[in-house]
Amino acid sequence: MYLTSYLALAAILFSIGLYGVLTKRNAVMVLFCIELMLNAVNINLIAFSKFGLFPNLTGQIFTLFTITVAAAEAAVGIAILIALYRNKETAEADQYNSMKG
Amino acid sequence: MEQYLLDFDLKVMAPELVIVSAAALLSVMDLFLKETASRKVIAVLSLAAVLAAGVFAVMGFGHPPYQILGDTYRIDSFSLTFKVIILAGTALVLLLSLHLNKEEIETREGEYYYLLLTAVLGGMVMVSSADLITLFVGLELLSLSSYVLVGIRRKDLKSNEAAWKYVVLGGVSSAFILYGMSFVYGLTGSTNLFVIRDRLMQALYSGYDLFVYLALFLMVVGFGFKIATAPFQMWTPDVYQGAMTPVTAFLAVVSKTAAFALVMRIMLIAFLPVFSPQISVGVEKLLMILAALSMIAGNAVALKQTNAKRLMAYSSIAQAGYILVPLSTLGFVLFPSLAYYLLAYLFMTLGAFAVLDVVTREGKNEELHVFAGLHQRSPWLAFAMSVFLISLAGLPVTAGFFGKFYLIINAIGREQHWLAGVMILTTVVSYYYYFGIIRQMYFRSPASLRPIPVPWTAGLVIVVGVIGTIGLGLLPDTVLQSLGKIDWGSGFDLAKNAVRQ
Amino acid sequence: MSLDPSLMHIAVFFIVGIALPVVALGIGRLLRPHQPSADKSVTYESGVDPTGDSWVQFNVRYYLFALLFVIFDVETVFLYPWAVVYDSLRKEMGLFVLAEMLVFLLFLVIGLIYAWKKKVLEWK
Repeated sequence: MYLTSYLALAAILFSIGLYGVLTKRNAVMVLFCIELMLNAVNINLIAFSKFGLFPNLTGQIFTLFTITVAAAEAAVGIAILIALYRNKETAEADQYNSMKG
Repeated sequence: MEQYLLDFDLKVMAPELVIVSAAALLSVMDLFLKETASRKVIAVLSLAAVLAAGVFAVMGFGHPPYQILGDTYRIDSFSLTFKVIILAGTALVLLLSLHLNKEEIETREGEYYYLLLTAVLGGMVMVSSADLITLFVGLELLSLSSYVLVGIRRKDLKSNEAAWKYVVLGGVSSAFILYGMSFVYGLTGSTNLFVIRDRLMQALYSGYDLFVYLALFLMVVGFGFKIATAPFQMWTPDVYQGAMTPVTAFLAVVSKTAAFALVMRIMLIAFLPVFSPQISVGVEKLLMILAALSMIAGNAVALKQTNAKRLMAYSSIAQAGYILVPLSTLGFVLFPSLAYYLLAYLFMTLGAFAVLDVVTREGKNEELHVFAGLHQRSPWLAFAMSVFLISLAGLPVTAGFFGKFYLIINAIGREQHWLAGVMILTTVVSYYYYFGIIRQMYFRSPASLRPIPVPWTAGLVIVVGVIGTIGLGLLPDTVLQSLGKIDWGSGFDLAKNAVRQ
Repeated sequence: MSLDPSLMHIAVFFIVGIALPVVALGIGRLLRPHQPSADKSVTYESGVDPTGDSWVQFNVRYYLFALLFVIFDVETVFLYPWAVVYDSLRKEMGLFVLAEMLVFLLFLVIGLIYAWKKKVLEWK
């Protein structure tokens, strides 16, 4: 069946993304991994809009919204990262630990 | 007959339209004002816009639920009540920010105010949506604005770090929510919450129940991050500490309230079939465990905090646990008790943050010992803080006491005695750290005897907080009854003018 | 199993796409003389002597441009579905379809003015 393979692909992408967010040390890679998770969602939505229980176009519309929001989120993330980099001079995410408690 | 934007009475969207036009106009105005000109005018205009939107929202009460924009957006008593709470919280936060000076926001003063406006717009869209897409867009508008607000002090390392942690964990939680939503869409072929409700019922009975639970689980994880319940709370203390105090207050009150409204909409409309008694899979149990974990984790870790803002962060995690109690037990007085508690939470938390802001600003320090001897320096400030802390701890005769009392009634009414027990026990534990601050204020000697200067705006917030906290505590039944009169059920029924009947 | 004719097109393009570079490079390899020297194995950089490492840090301004580009580029995604259904919608709703999109574009323009006034569009 078509749907299963798409869902499997999305699940794998989502898991890789989640794994990356939790383990990657480079801050830019962390942002990439979040994008990976969001793209897994897009694959899911598109697959469902074609092969779901009630196939229709809504899934594709939803995808347009996730794509744009993901772009905005990436932009904000990179902007914050640049500000952080200017202050800290490193993009290693595990160095961002000035607050404890 | 299809319906289009012009067919609708635009008045019903007046609060949102006021906020969005104010945000757009003020951002343009900020660009064309002189570099040296004071941005106070922007602050005052944003406050006026928020108040105007609040007036429009109050005027909207008393009508049957109304759905617009192809059933994606609805105006009903539920959304209006939450909008009023959100707007009131934002107005107080704006008032608290009025005395921030240019250096503190590093000349991004104008941006600060219209980012607050877009954030509150996102919150309003969240509480008014009846469609997964609009819900998501509202949630992201609130989140993205909050990320920037947290990191608005660009030269401050803590602020940068807080924003970074917030953006990463916020992004992950959005991804979880969306992944859950995608499965919901796959099972139902729709993003409309009411269509989802009907079709999820079919899906549950035709062998797709595991997918329904998977979707629910993913969304609960995502929402857990957004409302900061344990075990998804790890970002909260860092973000609360790194952000400016008014922004922290905004996150603690406004974001949390909006996120709760969102969770209630999705759980009680779309996922209602899962809660039905025939299907007992323990979704309620899952939520109850989240609630209990938050109360335990929040209150236990708060015990060893020395930073005032981190302490408030853990306190807010515990409060999120309390607020989850009526939802997870589906108690008899779910909505009135929840609205009462959210109101109480608004007054006491914002008041406490206002005092904290004034005191930490003067002491240039956020450790708890800045409160030492506050009684001798500014007795009224110490009194106000005591009222807020007693209310947060949940002792009579304050709003917090009756709020918690009504929340517990939900748990006991549903015979979830263990949850009520956890709530009472953790409340007792919380006395220790709340009274730690009171002890500092009354029994420690101050470093200096200089009274603490209180700007009139912050003073106003504190006075409103004290009046609200004590007023709600003195007239709990009156308030609860009037909250009970609100037609809550209308928030969860299809409106008469729906396109899809 | 019978294949969709459109899949056949893709298969043909796929084969041709692989064959073309392989054949072209293969023939070149057969025909050309083989006389390696130190000068020839140097990286080609438009005739200039190559200097330094290829891993250089990009100016942070590139990021700002990229961010701006990404945002405005992605927002145009909403124009396509609108353009596709424009004619049919206009028959029912009149020019209101246009007005709706103009409101959307107005907000994008505000964003552009914002970037402009904040001097993000200038290369300093």
